[in-house]
Amino acid sequence: MRETDPLVGVENVSRVFAMDHSEVKALDRVSFSVGAGEFLAISGPSGSGKSTLLNLIGCLDSPSAGRVRIEGADTSALSQGSVTRLRREKIGFVFQTFNLIPVFTAAENVEYPLLVQQAGSSERRRRVAEALASVGLAKRADQRPDLLSGGERQRVAVARAIVHRPALVLADEPTANLDTANATQLIDLMRDLNHALGLTFIFSTHDQRLLEHTARIIRLTDGRIASDSVLEGESHGQVSAACIS
Amino acid sequence: MGKFLLLAFRNVFRNRRRTAMTLMMVGGGVAALLLAGGYFRFMSNGLRESTIRNGLGHLQIFTAEHFRRDEVRVLDTGIENWRQVASVANAMPHVKGIAPRVEFYGMVSNGLKSSVFIGSAVDPAAEASLGFDPSLVNGTNFTKKADGDVEALIGVGLAKSMNVKVGDGLTVLAVTSDGALNGVDVQIAGIVRTGVADLDARYLRITLASAQRLLQSDRVTNLVVGLDSTANTDIVYAELAPRLGRFSQQLTMKKWIDLATYYRQVRSMFDGIFVFMGVIVFFMVLMASVNTLLMSMFERMREIGTMLAMGTPRAWIVGLFITEATLLGLMGAALGVAGGNLLGSLLNASGLHLPPPPGYTNSIAFRVLHIPGIMVGASLLVTVSLALASIFPAIRASRLRITEALAHV
Repeated sequence: MRETDPLVGVENVSRVFAMDHSEVKALDRVSFSVGAGEFLAISGPSGSGKSTLLNLIGCLDSPSAGRVRIEGADTSALSQGSVTRLRREKIGFVFQTFNLIPVFTAAENVEYPLLVQQAGSSERRRRVAEALASVGLAKRADQRPDLLSGGERQRVAVARAIVHRPALVLADEPTANLDTANATQLIDLMRDLNHALGLTFIFSTHDQRLLEHTARIIRLTDGRIASDSVLEGESHGQVSAACIS
Repeated sequence: MGKFLLLAFRNVFRNRRRTAMTLMMVGGGVAALLLAGGYFRFMSNGLRESTIRNGLGHLQIFTAEHFRRDEVRVLDTGIENWRQVASVANAMPHVKGIAPRVEFYGMVSNGLKSSVFIGSAVDPAAEASLGFDPSLVNGTNFTKKADGDVEALIGVGLAKSMNVKVGDGLTVLAVTSDGALNGVDVQIAGIVRTGVADLDARYLRITLASAQRLLQSDRVTNLVVGLDSTANTDIVYAELAPRLGRFSQQLTMKKWIDLATYYRQVRSMFDGIFVFMGVIVFFMVLMASVNTLLMSMFERMREIGTMLAMGTPRAWIVGLFITEATLLGLMGAALGVAGGNLLGSLLNASGLHLPPPPGYTNSIAFRVLHIPGIMVGASLLVTVSLALASIFPAIRASRLRITEALAHV
């Protein structure tokens, strides 16, 4: 990665899904970049392509056209194994439905990315303790997900997403299944982690509570960028979709 | 690795009802194999020992000529200096005793009716020392009567067809070693059952002394060697064989297994049935488990998608499913071994008897032997079967498209 490379580069990306007798264009020539340490929301109505875009950035899917670069590397040009390694080492995921492994305790769920990275046991213990402490769940480490509240589960999911110190955390509608109190708590937590650890957060949402705390919002409409707004900081103003796509 | 195993172990118990059903199926298969295998082994062991005890012995010494050609005259392929041979064999370790035999045939008549017989002449004392006691239905074994009073034991079928009973007289006719017809009068001391209905209809036994007088020969057909244990057969065979080469007459030795044709047939039938049962259990577990493991995969699609999203190598997903199936197989096998042994012990304690099989006249005790080899083999069979059953679901799980798996409801 060159110093000038953004953390994430989305270059003229389209994603077309083939249906029975037709094609659906979920994303249409989308381009933008995300620098390290950003706190970015991808917003838009249902079906606008938010999750599809997040899946492409997370290397869970491949674009029909265009390129997605992570730290300068074109993900489409990487082998299956390299993409898997990139996800394992560089990206943390937070899902709308938490997606914790139900037979694991909170601590074991948080430990999982480190297991996949084959980290040593003492390092795993230390990092899990730190991650759980950072989301305020140190005392709930031994509880299984079914004994945790929705807010606690999502905080465990956040701890799991950050435990291996990824460059990027992708969160797909992270507050959609939470009540206001838990959603607010989660937003504050992610913002704190963004500030304290310099972690880059990209999340898809149409939750106004979350958007109010976001530094930058990319709004999608019908698979195209309608606007890319910087709401705080000094480097960017509102950028029109026409300028960046 | 430890956490990976822990994950597999906990996954096994996620759906307890389904796991219980699978364990019951696997355990049932193992228990069935244990019971069948244990019973078959009991039957074949029993048949082996009864075959040996019924007079076959552990080893038999013949002249080599006996197997090369049919006798032109009675006993012309018999052993000449059999007493010296018996003495050499008797001196071997593990040898309990030697019983000389003469096999012959001829006609038997009670004056009203005649019948063909298959005769066996024995030394009653030597037979008794080896525990070769005839199975008496009526009367007694040979007594120590004077030579003029020749005794005979006859098969229950022959007695019925000749319409004779214990104490009745019979004339036994046979061709001597010189080719002349000779006869002796005998008195029926006892009526015996050989265990084989066809042989019972033709069987006649007299003493060796009587037979040698009847056949006008000092030779014997063979020498039966009885050992302290069937397990020592090979040892004694290996040590005795070279010593038999020192005699002028070329001698040969057969192990009981070479002579027990019926035993070999029964054993091979049992083995065939057992292998067939094993194949059925293998495929039963395989087919049922594929379905169960596929259901498990579909239920966990989103979780598998999450694991793949987090960078879990696809090979790990395959490994996870195979490990889960293997654990399930091992647990089912343990359950089956415990259940099969318990059930076997209960059946053994019940004193159950089965009716005699075709061609047999005695009922058979139902006993199940606990055989470690079968326990290990049956456990391996179901565990491998389950592991194989998991390969298809495992590969399907590992090849899921992550986005589709994450969207699975």
